[in-house]
Amino acid sequence: MTLLQVRGLTKKHDDVGVLNGVDFSLCKGEIKIVMGPSGCGKTTLLRCLNRLQEPSSGEIIFDGEEITAAAVDIQQVRQRIGFVFQNFALYRHLSALDNVKLGLRKLRGLSDAEATQRAIYELSRVEMQDHQDKYPAHLSGGQQQRVAIARALVMDPAVLFFDEPTSALDPLMAREVANLLNRLHDEKVTILCVTHDVTLAKNLPGDVLFLNHGRVEAEAPISELMKNHANENVRAFFEQKAPSE
Amino acid sequence: MSEAFAFLNDIVDYGPQILSGLINTLILAGTISVTGLLAGILIFRLTLSDNEIIRKSTARYISFFIGTPLIVLLFLMYYGLPQWGINFSPFTIAVIGFTLNIAAYNSRYLSAAYNGIDQHQLMAASAQGFSSRQIFTLIILPQTLRRAIPGLTNQVALNIKDSSIAFLIQYVDFFAQMQEQASLNFQYLKVYAVTGAVYLLLVSLVIFASKRLETRYAIPH
Ligand SMILES: Nc1ncnc2c1ncn2[C@@H]1O[C@H](COP(=O)(O)OP(=O)(O)OP(=O)(O)O)[C@@H](O)[C@H]1O
Ligand SMILES: [Mg+2]
Repeated sequence: MTLLQVRGLTKKHDDVGVLNGVDFSLCKGEIKIVMGPSGCGKTTLLRCLNRLQEPSSGEIIFDGEEITAAAVDIQQVRQRIGFVFQNFALYRHLSALDNVKLGLRKLRGLSDAEATQRAIYELSRVEMQDHQDKYPAHLSGGQQQRVAIARALVMDPAVLFFDEPTSALDPLMAREVANLLNRLHDEKVTILCVTHDVTLAKNLPGDVLFLNHGRVEAEAPISELMKNHANENVRAFFEQKAPSE
Repeated sequence: MSEAFAFLNDIVDYGPQILSGLINTLILAGTISVTGLLAGILIFRLTLSDNEIIRKSTARYISFFIGTPLIVLLFLMYYGLPQWGINFSPFTIAVIGFTLNIAAYNSRYLSAAYNGIDQHQLMAASAQGFSSRQIFTLIILPQTLRRAIPGLTNQVALNIKDSSIAFLIQYVDFFAQMQEQASLNFQYLKVYAVTGAVYLLLVSLVIFASKRLETRYAIPH
């Protein structure tokens, strides 16, 4: 079952193409990893998919609906796409619990009691129930990220987007992220994850979409991409990564 | 000794007038602090508009009212408008004039606070599906108001002091009553010293309250 189908997606900034015709699809329950050199357009791709940035052309079919159409209620669409940002972007004036509750209260119209109950459940799913009253400033990077994940999951999204989930964390916490993503995958959560962390990619079950200059140049399990791949950009990318891994 | 007694006696004699002046000062300062805050929030909201024309007009409004002496505005309305047959009470004119002026300053404090907030939160709120109106009321406003407490309360202190110029358009406030006092007993030094002390006391209370608010509503960082 295809959840997300992207065709010929382009994005230009002042006539410079950042995305130059991206095609891929994501099935329900699948986890897909987007990799590629810095500046190849990974963040731009994620942000175009829920129109935080407007694509210049192309089709995005999400759950059977073409969401680039002008008539689409994009706020409704966004409520079904969980987005976990690189720097977590928690609401600074709200406690962990209130961060998770806000969408339930104001977008879903749940009562305070219902929202609290659901939010606590979601925080315990990411093992953050003991920190629910803390403010973002008093949480570590890894803890903030888990609150951000709970904030996304609590809305029951059809898909979760991650932008560089390990880049702001130390190696130990980064390994935790791999475990967490695997657990979510086991629970049938659909995931699209941008990363340039080879260790993370190796520890995730899905295929890798290799993006270069705003185009998909390869799509395969990471083991294949790392094994003397036919595309020289893929080879160059993983060779340059290899010594540090 | 008898001189000091006479002075006290005068104050007691004029007690009711002085008190009503003080009440008028508090009413005016209180009113313009509230309307100035609400209008300031509105102006601040307009500076964030997607519409470029609205943003530009708002910027002009702010520089106009920050650049024009308030007294000119008050005289314009008080002496100018009657020429067109429009008559407002001194209080109404003071409220309108002060509100327009204070709103410009308050919107500046809010904008400065807004520039300090982490913009990624706003993108996260968009990504969650909040409308721009919800983002303003749920994220931007609570954070900017809390960060702007020092500036906004400083403005309240200024409002108390500056409201005294309303006596120039015949609003009978505390300052007007004290001036009356001085012109009757010629004790300028004493009367204006007492006047100054009362304003100082009022402003000190505001500053004290401001510190409390700041501690209570600080965003943890
Ligand atoms: N607002 C903008 N205006 C102009 N160019 C932009 C803008 N935003 C991004 N770009 C350019 O688009 C390209 C892709 O940026 P993007 O952030 O998507 O890359 P990325 O693959 O996520 O990189 P990284 O791995 O460093 O995060 C970069 O060359 C960047 O300079
Ligand atoms: Mg990026």
